[in-house]
Amino acid sequence: MPGPDLLSSQGLRLDGRRPNELRRIRCKLGVFTQPDGSAYLEQGNTKVLAAVYGPHQASKSKSTTEGVVVNCQYSMATFSTGERKNRPRGDRKSQEMSLHLRQALTAAIKTELYPRSQIDIYVEVLQADGGAYCAGVNAASLALIDAGIPLRAYACACSASMAWRNGEPEPLLDVGHVEEAAGGVVLTVASLPNTGSIALLEMSHRLHMDYFKVVLSRAMQGCRDIEIILDKAVRDHLAEGWTKQDVVTI
Amino acid sequence: MAGLLLSPTEKVFILHGVQDDYRSDGRSNIDYRPMELETDVVSHASGSARLRLANTDILVGVKTEIDVPKPDKPDCGKLEFFVDCSANATPEFEGRGGEQLANSISNMMQKAYHSSQAFNLKQLCIFEGKQCWKLYIDILILECGGNLCDAVSLAVKAALFNTRIPFVKAALMDGGNIDLQLSDDPYDSKLLDVGSAPLLVTLCKIGDKCVVDPSAEEENCSVISLIVGLTGDRKYYYPKDADKQQSVESKCTTIGMNGPGSVAPKTLKDAINQGIVAAKSLDEALGQALLKERQQNIGIKKHSYGFLK
Amino acid sequence: MWTTKTFLTKTKRGNILKIVREHYLRDDLLCGSSACNICPHKDEEYVLDSKPDSVCALFDYPHYLLLDTNVVLHQIDVLEEDALKNVIMLQTVLEEVKHQNTAIFQRILEVINNKKRKFYSFVNEHHKDTYVERNPGEKQNDRNDRAIRKAASWYALHLSVNNVAGQFPQIVLLTDDENNRKIAQEEGIVCCSVKDYIENVNGFVGLIDKLSKNVIPETCSKDALYPAHFTPTQIHTGIRNGKLYQGTFHASRDNFLEGTVSVNRFEKPILLQGHIGINRAVDGDLVAIEVFPEEEWRKPSDIVLEDKADDPGDLLEEESALLSSAKPLDSSKDEITPTGKVVGIIRRKWRQYCGILMPSKFPGATRHLFTPAEKRIPRVRIETRQSDVLASQRILVALDSWPRNSRYPLGHFVRALGPIGDKDAENEVILLEHDVPHARFSEAVLACLPPNDWTIPEEEIKKRVDLRSICICSVDPPGCTDIDDALHARPIDGVTADGLKKYEVGVHIADVTYFVRPNTALDKEAASRSTTVYLVDRRIDMVPDLLSSNLCSLRGGEERLAFSCVWEIDENANVLSTKFHKSVIKSAAAMTYEEAQITIDNSSRKDEIARSLRTLNALAKKLKQKRLDNGALLLASPEIRFQVDSETHDPVEVQAKKIMDTNSMVEEFMLLANVSVAEKLAEEFPQCALLRRHPSPPPANFTTFLKATRQQGFEIDVSTNKSFSKSLDEAVLPGRPFFNTMLRIMATRCMQQAVYFSSGTLSHPDYYHYGLACPIYTHFTSPIRRYADVIVHRLLAACIGEDVTHASLLDTKQADSICDNLNYRHRQAQYAGRASVALNTHILFKNRIEIESAVVLSVKRNALQVLIPKYGLEGPLYLPSDKFTYNEEEHYQICSDVTLKTFDELTVRLTLDSTNLQHRKLVFQLVKPHVPGFSYVPEDSGMEVESVASAEEVKETPIKKRKETKQSKPKKKSKNQ
Repeated sequence: MPGPDLLSSQGLRLDGRRPNELRRIRCKLGVFTQPDGSAYLEQGNTKVLAAVYGPHQASKSKSTTEGVVVNCQYSMATFSTGERKNRPRGDRKSQEMSLHLRQALTAAIKTELYPRSQIDIYVEVLQADGGAYCAGVNAASLALIDAGIPLRAYACACSASMAWRNGEPEPLLDVGHVEEAAGGVVLTVASLPNTGSIALLEMSHRLHMDYFKVVLSRAMQGCRDIEIILDKAVRDHLAEGWTKQDVVTI
Repeated sequence: MAGLLLSPTEKVFILHGVQDDYRSDGRSNIDYRPMELETDVVSHASGSARLRLANTDILVGVKTEIDVPKPDKPDCGKLEFFVDCSANATPEFEGRGGEQLANSISNMMQKAYHSSQAFNLKQLCIFEGKQCWKLYIDILILECGGNLCDAVSLAVKAALFNTRIPFVKAALMDGGNIDLQLSDDPYDSKLLDVGSAPLLVTLCKIGDKCVVDPSAEEENCSVISLIVGLTGDRKYYYPKDADKQQSVESKCTTIGMNGPGSVAPKTLKDAINQGIVAAKSLDEALGQALLKERQQNIGIKKHSYGFLK
Repeated sequence: MWTTKTFLTKTKRGNILKIVREHYLRDDLLCGSSACNICPHKDEEYVLDSKPDSVCALFDYPHYLLLDTNVVLHQIDVLEEDALKNVIMLQTVLEEVKHQNTAIFQRILEVINNKKRKFYSFVNEHHKDTYVERNPGEKQNDRNDRAIRKAASWYALHLSVNNVAGQFPQIVLLTDDENNRKIAQEEGIVCCSVKDYIENVNGFVGLIDKLSKNVIPETCSKDALYPAHFTPTQIHTGIRNGKLYQGTFHASRDNFLEGTVSVNRFEKPILLQGHIGINRAVDGDLVAIEVFPEEEWRKPSDIVLEDKADDPGDLLEEESALLSSAKPLDSSKDEITPTGKVVGIIRRKWRQYCGILMPSKFPGATRHLFTPAEKRIPRVRIETRQSDVLASQRILVALDSWPRNSRYPLGHFVRALGPIGDKDAENEVILLEHDVPHARFSEAVLACLPPNDWTIPEEEIKKRVDLRSICICSVDPPGCTDIDDALHARPIDGVTADGLKKYEVGVHIADVTYFVRPNTALDKEAASRSTTVYLVDRRIDMVPDLLSSNLCSLRGGEERLAFSCVWEIDENANVLSTKFHKSVIKSAAAMTYEEAQITIDNSSRKDEIARSLRTLNALAKKLKQKRLDNGALLLASPEIRFQVDSETHDPVEVQAKKIMDTNSMVEEFMLLANVSVAEKLAEEFPQCALLRRHPSPPPANFTTFLKATRQQGFEIDVSTNKSFSKSLDEAVLPGRPFFNTMLRIMATRCMQQAVYFSSGTLSHPDYYHYGLACPIYTHFTSPIRRYADVIVHRLLAACIGEDVTHASLLDTKQADSICDNLNYRHRQAQYAGRASVALNTHILFKNRIEIESAVVLSVKRNALQVLIPKYGLEGPLYLPSDKFTYNEEEHYQICSDVTLKTFDELTVRLTLDSTNLQHRKLVFQLVKPHVPGFSYVPEDSGMEVESVASAEEVKETPIKKRKETKQSKPKKKSKNQ
């Protein structure tokens, strides 16, 4: 079976988590002053920064009357991976990720509110240890909130994989780099947990249809768990902001 | 920065302040704004540092790779600087927008570190003529709040100070191949001697005088700035044997000019001297900060604040 | 809690990376003890007793044992005994064990999984209170020892909370590391060496015998007999710079002081001679060797040398005899072989060995020598107090270490297999030596079985094609209980375009996969066994008897589930269409080959079965002809069957198997079914179909064979299988009917082995089956006795939508690893089968001497390899070098006017030499042609001993005939290859 070792007989994963546990998530809104919104998010050893500029006037070629143009760029710092990357962006993988970011975030933004405008979302991966895309979506969600852009819901992304324990399938939540490299399936879902809808779904490798449902529901559960964490971070940030910064500047 | 508009009166106010060595934010001409520095923020990298100078935010990661030394310098390692202007800093940097700026900074750094008095490349040698370490110094500019070069050079020096090179045993095999043996102990690593690593000081000419670390408003008043690369002093980084070492004179490793204006030779000389003074105090402050941080974190694990603060 | 682990690794490209991994520390891990008042255990999570009984006299209070890594690695045999209970296994220890020895890791897992043993595995590495960080400058081993001590003191403290003193179990740390013990004592941990503990255990006789005599081999420099081995670093460096070579050590069968190691750089294997040259390497070990300069190269000695019968103590001798004889006397360059010596052991491949004890001459002694059954393994010194009992037993012994000052390796007794000479014990030896899993099916496996009175549920019948009304019959060897195939044929309406009659022919295979569901314990067991192993008098089933002999077996007159392959075939045996479906059938008759043959031949029988069989027979002949026209080879191997005494189960007579038309009839349809299935699978699952290939033999294999045939005046063309087949057919000697069969037997030996493989691992042209001359082939028709067929069934069921696939079925990598295991097990099963035949042959010849005709298979320097066609027996006929001269070029032996060459027919006398209990062997003596002073002369003409002539009741073997003794070698008798 692919990766029978991902789960020990005691039901712990290689890093000591249980199958349904997320990695440690820490985040902060408003880390920069220049962008309209920014956020930093850590998911285990995966660390990302997101910055949002806009909404501002869109360039003529892009502008549409239907809604705001969401422009995303995903780039990875050259020191973010185990072996040094040569280029931070522009490679196939980053371009694909940029598109995926746009897909997930456009679903969350109330695009109809800003016709002929543009929102720029930049995600910078500082450290990649598996699930960098997911962390990117989650951080971007926070940055959008920091920028005050109306959202339908939090866009949360989470990955899940498959492992077996005593012959029973046991999906793993929030896959780390080691588990990714073990070669099993990785299902990445970006969803709007409070509506329960899926904004993006991507899967690497082959997964048998029989198990698709359990893996998907685990990933969705992960999205819901992440939403709770993000929501708490936003509330804390706002409470703190009111008591400190704004009072002083007024 | 783009979009910053100053009225002539405001400019005159700034100019007069500089003339009197009393700047609009209360600093003297050789004072820097407060900075925040933290090392070892990227655990994947061999060394890293994050520096925040006002709104300028720089993250530096140092990665090591094994390489073959250049034939003309068989006992030297290699350094490579790479600057990436993140679009997080400004939308103008999106795609390849920041490349020009990035190249100019990385060239500046490369030149500043080129001298053997600035950085001793021999400490990166593994086996003469066969193998050496190549350090990739990757600089990520996360936010631009002016005075990029100075901030970058400070962050780079801090990251190098933080860098641990794994300790390897090299043996020459038949057929000229090198066999490397790696210790299984992650603590088995060496630190780099970075005391003499250069710092860049940007001197912004306002009127006849120069200021260091200009604010965005001051940059707006200036037509030309001078960038001077000056070597550091080992004694600030090795407190134990500080008394054995004499103070070394700062040496200028690079000079560059930036901007449409021009400088009189006299002003240039003054400016360089002013830079030396500024660099010295900067170097001392950096050394103290780094040593203090190292003392707090014995071992290789530390609690990293990163961007969470 | 969260922390990270940092370490450095080297990448393939030679770069050094810094790797950081997350490491979560938890507070919800349980201690597993019933005496604990803190952890929120559920009832089933208590593993350790609250008041464990102490078995050790040294510690008379209740306690739990905590083991360190080396204790598990070295004393696994002690741990497998039931004596020690209530043991805490730390994750640190388990991981180290797993890293160092996977076999022992599996065994300790077995122990942990055994609920009665009360072994609790504690995840100390992720527990917030027991995790320790590595200190700067600390070695990994020291850190692990510290982690073990930390866990020990944590347990002691943890159990004491809320417990009255003396009311809770203590922790005893077992470790053989003196230094660790010292530190532990300073930290207040109770600890003890394994030896001290076990020697004071009461009530378990023989436990002490199982203690491993592990000493660090290189430390015993006092009175050292052997040179020290290089350290791993020295070996590594040596291999890197080309001064040393690594390879697997193969000991010689004939000479215990000689062995070889094959190394890529040298064409010939490197010769190693003498105690010093071999320097404690044991057959199978991965060793590092140093090659001598060319002038010191020798030729392999051709003498047979066995270790002396008595115990010489710790001395080395016999060197001189060997070495002088091996000096290059005639200095013929061909004979000189690169010679070298072992300088270090990279990895021991020790397993447990069967053999017998040679009790010490001194009564009451505890040190004894053990002689393994495998000749290539040295004797082993063991300690036991039960030598009186064990002397007459076959025993199993594990090797522990081989210190420099010991002539023999040290080992310990594992268990007794039974009395020497006892059939069961001898069979056990065969099974163990061939690594055949033969333990009784576990409870978990048996739990997967349907009830004994299981009948086909109605809804299952509805899902399937109902073929119960069709006249289906099975044809098998007599006494067969695991019937996995049945056939039918009937004319159908209509004619083909060419006006030929059409028939519907069906092959129905037992639907084993209905019962063996993927990933169940039953499935895993079957996968591990891979095949049913047929010994002469015993069958080791792949699936439990209820399935193999009853529910899956397509017995006559009973309704059974089947997987059917149904063709429309015209009368010229062209397949018009193929269908696969699951079905339910009711076999009209389960016949033997003989019965079926009689039914066909008896023209008075006009019933449906007879008609069906006749159709099948006629079609089969046409199919066979087509196959032969394509270039399929008809090969042969001697096959015999034993008739056994009904009471003693000893063989009393042996005969060659009879071949009838019906054998071939069944075989042809099975081949057709296999090919049809293979084509379907390869089309549907190009990445993971399980197929079987038979590579073309490399031309070099034929060199000797061609020389021999040329001597007989035949030129055999081996360029393609077609030309080979043709020239074999033409090579007939009038007056020597057996000659052609001989030729085919010898041709068979030039072949490669056929193997299973996954279609994703090879390109299409490599799928070719040389022996059958078909482009693609698989095994579909015997799922009861081969796991390959089970996989094929699952794949086929998925193709036709009758069953769901499962992830592991579709994984190429995994399919590949299944194939590896299948191929290994099949090979071992074959060898075990042959060993069993040899064993029974020996029993047969125990009390008899026979004179039989024989054929020379090959000519060696000092012997002829001869075959007795009547018994299918093969063995060496030694020729003394003072009488015979060997012609190397042409491969014949000559003595005055008598020339002996390959294919010559001789008469030989057969006796059994029982002087060596473990290695009984048949002795062949030349009778005809007569060589004065050498040939055996019968004293009088009526000498032949026919002890079986008495009217003893002879009976067939109670088990199914081995359908494929030489499973992978195509031969005409086996019905599916």
